[in-house]
Amino acid sequence: MKEIVLLGHVLFGVSCLLATVWLFVDVLNAHEGNLARVRWLSRAAAVFFWLGFLAGGYWYVVDYKADKEVILKGPWPFAHNYFMETKEHFVITLLLLATYLPIAASNNLALNKEARRLVLCVAALVAVLALMAEGHGAIISMGVKVALLAKPH
Amino acid sequence: MAFGLSLALCALLNALLVIAKERSKAVADWMQRITGHHWITHVAVVLILFAILGWCFARMNSGQGPKMPVHRLTGIVFSGVVAGVLIVLGFYVFAD
Repeated sequence: MKEIVLLGHVLFGVSCLLATVWLFVDVLNAHEGNLARVRWLSRAAAVFFWLGFLAGGYWYVVDYKADKEVILKGPWPFAHNYFMETKEHFVITLLLLATYLPIAASNNLALNKEARRLVLCVAALVAVLALMAEGHGAIISMGVKVALLAKPH
Repeated sequence: MAFGLSLALCALLNALLVIAKERSKAVADWMQRITGHHWITHVAVVLILFAILGWCFARMNSGQGPKMPVHRLTGIVFSGVVAGVLIVLGFYVFAD
């Protein structure tokens, strides 16, 4: 079950990232015809991120302790000491950004150039931080793997 | 506008709460005690502040919210988020 929760966390994170990149491109070419899709994408990105955050948060609070002990005894303690410690905190800022995205996208982006730039800025920040979170998560997972492989058989 | 300002401020407050939690055992223990896990308390505090500050900013100027050009808000959001994230990343490299 915990593996499914963790996979769900990654799946929703990637879905948020894809929705945000799609949104970014649509906003670059904002016109009356794609405003509805822009708004739906912004909401989808926010929902995906919340689902990923809740899944990851649940796993972190309930299941991560065992992985943490393995990582700290292995050759990559930085996988927890740096990458998990930073990830668990910057994703809170990412949560705020993802929540704000549909609020910013509710403006008429076809007519308002400044509002368009705001959405592009927020979307770009979401995409970059989401990619960073994926990378951090990969290193954390690898920290568990290298620790288990380093154990004598 | 209101929640954009709140976002920028809460991104910084999030980073400062990280430093406070890591540097002060009393703060860490309090956060652990409130909800049973320090991280849950941390998330709750930031989300509640985001909502409250956004609501307060929205009530400025007789309910019209903050009056500023949107491009300034974009700069504030970008600066607040980047500064907050860099503080978190830098803290665990240099200060922890």
